[in-house]
Amino acid sequence: MRNFILFIRRFFNLILFLGLEIVCVILISRTNTLQGNDIISSANTVAGIIYQKQSDLVYYFGLRKMNDSLLNENAQLRKKIDLMHSVDTLKDSVVHVKLKEEDTTKHIVKYADYMYMTARVINNSTNASDNYITINRGSKDGVGKGFAVISGTGIVGRVEHVSARFASVLSVLSAKQRVSAKLKNGTNGFVIWDEKGPDILTMIDVSKDVNVKKGDSIFTNNFSLYFPPDILIGTVIKIEEEKKKGMLIISLLSSTNFHNLQYVYVVDNKMALEKKQLEDSTSKK
Amino acid sequence: MNVYIKNILRFCIIILLQVLILNKITLRWWSEPSHFPIFIPYVYLLFILLLPFETPVWALLIIGLALGLTVDTFMNTAGMHACATILVAYLRTNVLSALLPRNLSEYSGQHPSIKSMGWMPFLVYSGFLIILHHFVFFTIELWNFTNIGFLLLKILDSSVTSMLFIIVYLLLFTKQNTSRI
Repeated sequence: MRNFILFIRRFFNLILFLGLEIVCVILISRTNTLQGNDIISSANTVAGIIYQKQSDLVYYFGLRKMNDSLLNENAQLRKKIDLMHSVDTLKDSVVHVKLKEEDTTKHIVKYADYMYMTARVINNSTNASDNYITINRGSKDGVGKGFAVISGTGIVGRVEHVSARFASVLSVLSAKQRVSAKLKNGTNGFVIWDEKGPDILTMIDVSKDVNVKKGDSIFTNNFSLYFPPDILIGTVIKIEEEKKKGMLIISLLSSTNFHNLQYVYVVDNKMALEKKQLEDSTSKK
Repeated sequence: MNVYIKNILRFCIIILLQVLILNKITLRWWSEPSHFPIFIPYVYLLFILLLPFETPVWALLIIGLALGLTVDTFMNTAGMHACATILVAYLRTNVLSALLPRNLSEYSGQHPSIKSMGWMPFLVYSGFLIILHHFVFFTIELWNFTNIGFLLLKILDSSVTSMLFIIVYLLLFTKQNTSRI
């Protein structure tokens, strides 16, 4: 016993060091599963408040740019509304959630799969291997884990940690996340990020017979549990062929400018849970 | 000023400097080849480097954990910074005693600085620990050994840039001797 205590005393520092390193490794490995800890993330209240303060300070410098982007987005939406004007949208629709309509005088049933809410970006990074964005909406506002986040111009990421008033979003600029995407002609593939820079994404799993040209747009497809379909991801800037697998590697210029994100939309897919349960139950068998 | 208050203040200043200012700076040495790594300078390690000489190792380890986890919280990297910082905190005493001519206990009341150690030993001391820290951190962060050249390049240019920032910090915040002989 005496020897044991002497041993502990002699190597106390080493033991403490190894113990703390093991704690760190456990923390790291736990964040790689998605239900990791919310405390050590920027959704944490203290970090959130500090970021909020900083964002309040630098907020005014970006107002002009934001105005322009909002105007552009409005113009785009107007164009879309015009397109919808004379189309019977309900005719070939799939399952949809009925919207609650207070006004019963109108006998129109309205449907929506996706609910949008705005959020302000209070912290943003573009230079790590896994980039995170902190937004000022949390579980109080109805944000939950796994909600998609898009900007006016394209996709941004997915909510990973949530606290009462803040949430941190794993952006598309991350090795951990792949987004299913489609080309203009409907060919499906995946969009990943391989650290070529904050503007450049890569699309993989596209067969080489597919006809792609520079300047083509890439959109999200219907497969994703979180992202709404037909959101712009980027435009093709380079097409390479991977000899070994006979697949194309397509470099995209991201349509979202991750450097100056100010406002984003958090998207709640009302159908996500049901779809996920169904897919899980079939994959188990 | 009391040594504790001074260090707590320095902790807050360095964390805020790192999180609110330096984390927003994205650097890249060269923009032409598109695979050149981008990085941000990490100076928060300076807090560990500047603690007084006689700080015991267990205290260094606990402080390292606290510092690392604070940075992790802000950067969403749970545990990665803490892991690298603890390693540096553990090795600090050994590196110092290898570099300094006298025994560490003789330097009571001082902390490592250009003044107490001289330029060369201080640069070797901080340079070595920073390269070590960046090596561990980026290895854990990338965790992908298919592109070792990229990893090494990222470690190298990031640590050189961090060193430059640390030197600037020291030149700014070291008290100059006002009394001239």
